[in-house]
Amino acid sequence: MGKQPSQNATIRALPKLCGADIELGNFIAGTDKAGGTGYEASRELLAEIEGLPIRQSSYVDNWWSTASTAPRTGVNNLGGTCATTSDWAYNPQDVSRRFLASNGGSAYIDLNHAELCLPEVMSAFDHIAAWHGMLRIMRDALDRANQGRPRDRRIQVLINNSDGQGNSYGSHTNYAISRRTFDNIFWRKTHYLPFLASFQVSSILLTGQGKVGAENGRPSTPYQISQRADFFETLQGIQTTYNRPIVNARDEALCGWSRVNGPMAPARLHVIFFDSALAHGSCLFRVGPMQLILTLLELGLINPRLILDEPLAALHSFSHDPTLKASAELISGERLTALQLQCAYLDEVKRHAAQSVFEGIVPRFEEIIALWEDTLNKFIQGDLMALAPCLDWIQKLMAIERAMEQHPELDWDSPEVKVIDHLYSSLDDDGLYWAYEGCGFAEQLVTPEQITHFTANPPADTRAWTRAMLLRRASSDNVEVESVDWDRITFKIRGRHAWPSYRAFDMADPLGFTQDLAQPIFDSCGEFGDLLDGLESLSTSIALPLEAVAVN
Amino acid sequence: MRFLERFDVQQQNHGGGDDDPGADDRLQQARTEGDRLLAAGDEAIQRALAGSNSEAFLRAGRQQGGQ
Repeated sequence: MGKQPSQNATIRALPKLCGADIELGNFIAGTDKAGGTGYEASRELLAEIEGLPIRQSSYVDNWWSTASTAPRTGVNNLGGTCATTSDWAYNPQDVSRRFLASNGGSAYIDLNHAELCLPEVMSAFDHIAAWHGMLRIMRDALDRANQGRPRDRRIQVLINNSDGQGNSYGSHTNYAISRRTFDNIFWRKTHYLPFLASFQVSSILLTGQGKVGAENGRPSTPYQISQRADFFETLQGIQTTYNRPIVNARDEALCGWSRVNGPMAPARLHVIFFDSALAHGSCLFRVGPMQLILTLLELGLINPRLILDEPLAALHSFSHDPTLKASAELISGERLTALQLQCAYLDEVKRHAAQSVFEGIVPRFEEIIALWEDTLNKFIQGDLMALAPCLDWIQKLMAIERAMEQHPELDWDSPEVKVIDHLYSSLDDDGLYWAYEGCGFAEQLVTPEQITHFTANPPADTRAWTRAMLLRRASSDNVEVESVDWDRITFKIRGRHAWPSYRAFDMADPLGFTQDLAQPIFDSCGEFGDLLDGLESLSTSIALPLEAVAVN
Repeated sequence: MRFLERFDVQQQNHGGGDDDPGADDRLQQARTEGDRLLAAGDEAIQRALAGSNSEAFLRAGRQQGGQ
């Protein structure tokens, strides 16, 4: 039996704001180079996405010092211009980052992968819409980049996490948690991290994209549930490109300098575990249940009975068994399948939901729980045809098995089958997912209108709204944007005698600067400087519940 | 046997499903409808299989390791 909610009414959790930074597979078809063509493809794609600042830089440290580098323009090996920086400043993990005035998100190049960063959202449903909105933006960029290219030399973009040749790239989500919770997970408590890791490991049956074959030295398998599972090699760590951990300890709050202190100060959990998703159910389940589980962690409502004895071994075992028969041992000695463990976590969430612990913390939590329960019930009933429209790994598996039925000469080792695996996630018009969406097979949890909205508008309920509006206003007022980061924008303002002055605007509170708070200031301030003055007044009325005391 | 068939057999052996006498019929209807919709995606599969050399496509898709 897990803990009951504390009697202390002052204990609260931070609203589970969510961001995401997702790397894409990108290459030029028909071009066989030893190191691949990601360098060229990623730069051609990014050149087609408008953003600010116009003068591009590659950040040494994308947290603190976005304005500290010295950019210069260079020429790439395709004859086009690209952003480079002096050698001392060059960071291959953050090249040419630009923020979008359309929706407040950003795009850049990370290790020769085009990467899309979603604007901060509050709701898991908005995560789906914002993600698909960003995919539309990238799809338009892809179309423009491919104009004039011969069909057999088109740029391909794959929304996946592995090239099938031992190289993986990430699909990261991140969540607002309190500083105390971050410390509890990584430094103070023995059971927080394994509770979280065990949840993540079992959740692949909802979030996996599916993959033909095994990589990274794992035992061969025809098909597995997760794209990423083979690449996790340790339980926790700060690293993301090697020896990848199930629970990532990167500590970047992206909430300004330490002007907000105390146990409920915002921290940010950087989650590198999940696969890229296209099916709306998979998109929802990589965020919604995490918001719920992190709320339980923040409130200290942890049931240690659910902790796996070896989460890493369980992950590999679960992923390599699409029949879901594999079981893993808990620290109690009991053995559970991934499905049984997910049902146990859902029971915990439902039990605490009855105590109203998610009110004001996880938007639309009742709907998330209902969808989670309905999906697990369909697994229990063996109703895979009902699951395929909402879960990527099953939808992809059905596509592959249909192809193998229609082409008996194919087997799991056929390169054609691996091509179908890849093309399931192709962003271009050859993408199988889009075919299933177009024919009405793929289930939609958000409307096309909601997706369209996020191609041109920021979320109204996070600081992304003010970021996007400030970038638009700067453009219309001819104010140069010197640098942009998630929590700060620096403007270069020309004075009466044309001498520039620099003014930084901080948005430390990710939950503040919403449309409700900022729209009246935008409407009432004619001069750009006055606007910044007005918005700065919001910084003093920070929305974080600093009065709350965390005692867990 | 296909993965999906193996999954069905496993669930039946474990007593999956509910006691609703109409559940089997509804499940069958859902599968028939799902099959119809899946068939609409077959054209995309055929295009994928009819594309150029699969091995060359896979080689070209080599990526740099990322995060």
